[in-house]
Amino acid sequence: MGIKIDPLKCTACMACELACGYHRDDAFAFLSSCIVPYRAREKKNYFGVILKEEDSLVVARPEGLEINKIGEEQDPEKEADASAKPMLLREACDLCEDMEGGPMCIKFCPVDAISVD
Amino acid sequence: MEYLSSDKVGIIDLATREIQEEDLDEELVKEKIGGAGITQALYNRFEDEDPVVLGAGLLCGTLVPASALGVMTAKSPVTGKMCHVPLTLDAGVELKYSGFDYIVIKGTASEPIYLWIHDGIADVEDAKDLWGKDVWASTDYVRETMGDDLIQVLAIGEAGESGSEIAQVCINYWASADRMGFGNLLGKKKVKLIALRGMGLLEIAEPEEMIDACQALLTEVKSGAFAGKKGIGELATAIGEEDLGDWIAPLVHRHSACFNTPFASNTFVFLDEDPSKVEESAVPEPGFLLTDIYGLLGLKGLGLSAADACGILKACAKSGVDPAAVAELCEKSQKKDPEEIKGSLLDLKGPVESVGQGPFSPWAPQKPLSKEFGLPEDGSEDSTWWMRRQGVAYIFGIHPIFALMSPALSEEKLIELANIGTDLDFAAETLDQVISEITG
Repeated sequence: MGIKIDPLKCTACMACELACGYHRDDAFAFLSSCIVPYRAREKKNYFGVILKEEDSLVVARPEGLEINKIGEEQDPEKEADASAKPMLLREACDLCEDMEGGPMCIKFCPVDAISVD
Repeated sequence: MEYLSSDKVGIIDLATREIQEEDLDEELVKEKIGGAGITQALYNRFEDEDPVVLGAGLLCGTLVPASALGVMTAKSPVTGKMCHVPLTLDAGVELKYSGFDYIVIKGTASEPIYLWIHDGIADVEDAKDLWGKDVWASTDYVRETMGDDLIQVLAIGEAGESGSEIAQVCINYWASADRMGFGNLLGKKKVKLIALRGMGLLEIAEPEEMIDACQALLTEVKSGAFAGKKGIGELATAIGEEDLGDWIAPLVHRHSACFNTPFASNTFVFLDEDPSKVEESAVPEPGFLLTDIYGLLGLKGLGLSAADACGILKACAKSGVDPAAVAELCEKSQKKDPEEIKGSLLDLKGPVESVGQGPFSPWAPQKPLSKEFGLPEDGSEDSTWWMRRQGVAYIFGIHPIFALMSPALSEEKLIELANIGTDLDFAAETLDQVISEITG
């Protein structure tokens, strides 16, 4: 079971990132989130979502899903992590196992772009 | 101020480049709540020094749906009165997490400067290399200099530098809700841009109760009239301009939302790229983000093609001029050639009716966008209702267009959320009083 993202439904509103941050910090914060919309290519309007899992970094690009195994060399041309705290340093998604009602990112996505696979 | 706050106010003296910091007085919050309530109080305190005050709404940057809004408050060169401009996209939330709740920028700099507000630090930087650059180049410059593409930038272009009456403060690369001439004001103060970034953390008084209340509210919001809709075409339909959607459709790439806002009101059009392309474009600047419905409608009214209209909007954002004012002035002078319009952006002048007249920007449609509000269909109560509704949005930090779409974001609900989040005891009477003050 894991988080499934529909990047073409995503509107880059960052609700998932803040919801995940609450799960980590019991406060409103972004820095510890394991799910982050990447929105660094603003002038190109190229955006999607990155998810840190236990052994992989999932990059939900508009054109399709990319799963990068942690520890393997990545294509530098496809860099998508523009966050202040690199994704690999963050805790992996635990599906909000201690939260009633399931993953916070799913609960707070206003456009239902996230689900459990 | 302990909750939903960084507990800090920054006071920047442009003349001396000195920066003072103060705690955010909880008594001030109890009295003025937040957002425009407090930016106005700070404006009044420093009125003799012609301040520009930035602040985020009390609930901005939280899981309250549509909690996107920051506010810029100053004396408008257009109206000669103090007024408020909403800061949308991600500018409001970035300010909220910058380590400052409010920033007072007072006086005038002797040389061009820019402000770098980040992680509880406010820096005044030399902008000699930036002065003369357009908005896009300025945003690129500060992001490249700081090495962070997520910095949010409030920037002026050549229009603001040269004292254009229709100059606008832009957000990153795009048009903003500044229809008050604040671009002109920042130019006079020699402030080229304000860069915002922060990795702050906002404590919540009753975290679990807050999260449950936010989720319940989101569920209610998602069952509203705008569920499943997005984009500037749908927004146009809501204000009775049904044919704009079809006119713009061939250029539409994707829609995006301001922070945590359920309706994606921003639409990206590709002008130099196939709009159906989903992979990253190799073109460095393939298009433009439409953030201003009235600028687009005004140019459509000149009889231009959608591509020509969007090309002009892009030029407006680079020069830092209000696109609705451009459309109005071109209509009045019968200027309809796209290249001629682009070439004259810095020279356009004359009385403009589409600019702000009152305390809030007319960037947000001046009527309810949902029948669910239950207002009379003859529009007889729209004006009074709109003023109060915008006041609520500017105080709590709610997206000012989404506030017109969703009755679920009621005053009672926002007060309840503010009380859960802060452990303060806001009452409806306090909100009435603050709205009365900011609506004049």
